Amino acid sequence: AGLILSRLSFGSSTETMLTVLVLASIVLLGIAPERSQAITIYTGWERHALVGSDVRLSCSFFSWRWISDDVTFSWTYRPDGSRDSISIFHYTGGEAYVDNKGPFRDRLEFVGNPGRRDGSILIKNLDFSDNGTFTCDAKNPPDIVGRPSSVRLLVFEKLPIQAGVITGAIIGVVLGLLVLIVVIYYLMRFLVARRVFSLNVSKHGKKKKEGSQQRQIKQTPPLPPTIVASDGQMPSYLPFKHPRGTSRCRPTSLLWTSWFLL
Amino acid sequence: MFMLAGIVVLHITTVILLLVATIDNAWWVTGTASTDLWGRWELTSSDWHYYNLQNYPQDYLQSVQGTVVLACVFTILALFVFLAQLFTLPKGQRFIFTGILQLIACLCIMTAASVYTAKFHTNDDTKGGYGHSYILAWISFVLTLLLTVTYLILRKSE
Repeated sequence: AGLILSRLSFGSSTETMLTVLVLASIVLLGIAPERSQAITIYTGWERHALVGSDVRLSCSFFSWRWISDDVTFSWTYRPDGSRDSISIFHYTGGEAYVDNKGPFRDRLEFVGNPGRRDGSILIKNLDFSDNGTFTCDAKNPPDIVGRPSSVRLLVFEKLPIQAGVITGAIIGVVLGLLVLIVVIYYLMRFLVARRVFSLNVSKHGKKKKEGSQQRQIKQTPPLPPTIVASDGQMPSYLPFKHPRGTSRCRPTSLLWTSWFLL
Repeated sequence: MFMLAGIVVLHITTVILLLVATIDNAWWVTGTASTDLWGRWELTSSDWHYYNLQNYPQDYLQSVQGTVVLACVFTILALFVFLAQLFTLPKGQRFIFTGILQLIACLCIMTAASVYTAKFHTNDDTKGGYGHSYILAWISFVLTLLLTVTYLILRKSE
């Protein structure tokens, strides 16, 4: 403490602030777990399954303490429309005890890993009478204060289409195709423009006038003779209009019309 | 100048009508309920309550939902592309890209309205009629078709 105090008197203001911060965080980290010691349990919200299939009900927890050897998991089941719940599974002292008298005898299996905070169970061969709420309660001594979490099981004859799956698929696919088409279009335009640019540069040494006319005649696709503006002027896509001074030709409008005229 | 303003106003009107047709749950209206596309409003003793849609063929309902949303998206895109093409298109050319987007929007709203007409409320059990969203959907189809033809014919001047 004396060392710290001496540091405080001689050091700069930032050093002081840092020291205070470090001390405060140590104190808070030391205190905090003691106060927020509740264990939090996570299960799903709802599980959908088909008749005759198997379903895995997952349960895991978060605890500030290390996993003790006395960690316990217990599952209880409350059928739909009933107010009583029965216990169907208990794991304690390293041993799993499954239901051997109730509605799930011979159908319940422990598939969790307590060392990894996983207390999941597997129910096989579902039937419509298995509709109900399953509650998982986990305890990690000395961390025992917590709220059990419930998952609702719904058993269907035929799995219904979940809300919005088809809607989202339609919207996503069409918009994705649109983006793809636009990207491909601009990519091809860019590539062809680059190729024409390099051609332009390579023929720069030869007679410019004849060379440019020939090249542009080759590139223009055979146009039907009716495509001329009504006022007798040259349509803007013919490249002859461009001034002599430009060394780079503009194939973009060319491509645009040729693409849509074909 | 006036034609341009008229086209833009028409396009914005189409966007608004499409949005109302998509969002408002009034494709089918009975005495005490207003339903469809996303949920069902029911009037029980002077209080409106919102319920989820039950007992509808899910695949057809979701395809109507998807295509009607796509129609809105493409119409709005076409508006922005039109405004962009006003500045970038060389003189004398047609607004092809805008026309294609608007055509896709037209096809989408046509698909949505047709599927809805064919597959929902085909037997007259609930004694209701088509609501304002349904009517607006068909009106939007006509307007988008008109706009498509306009964009594919119009040439840029000046």
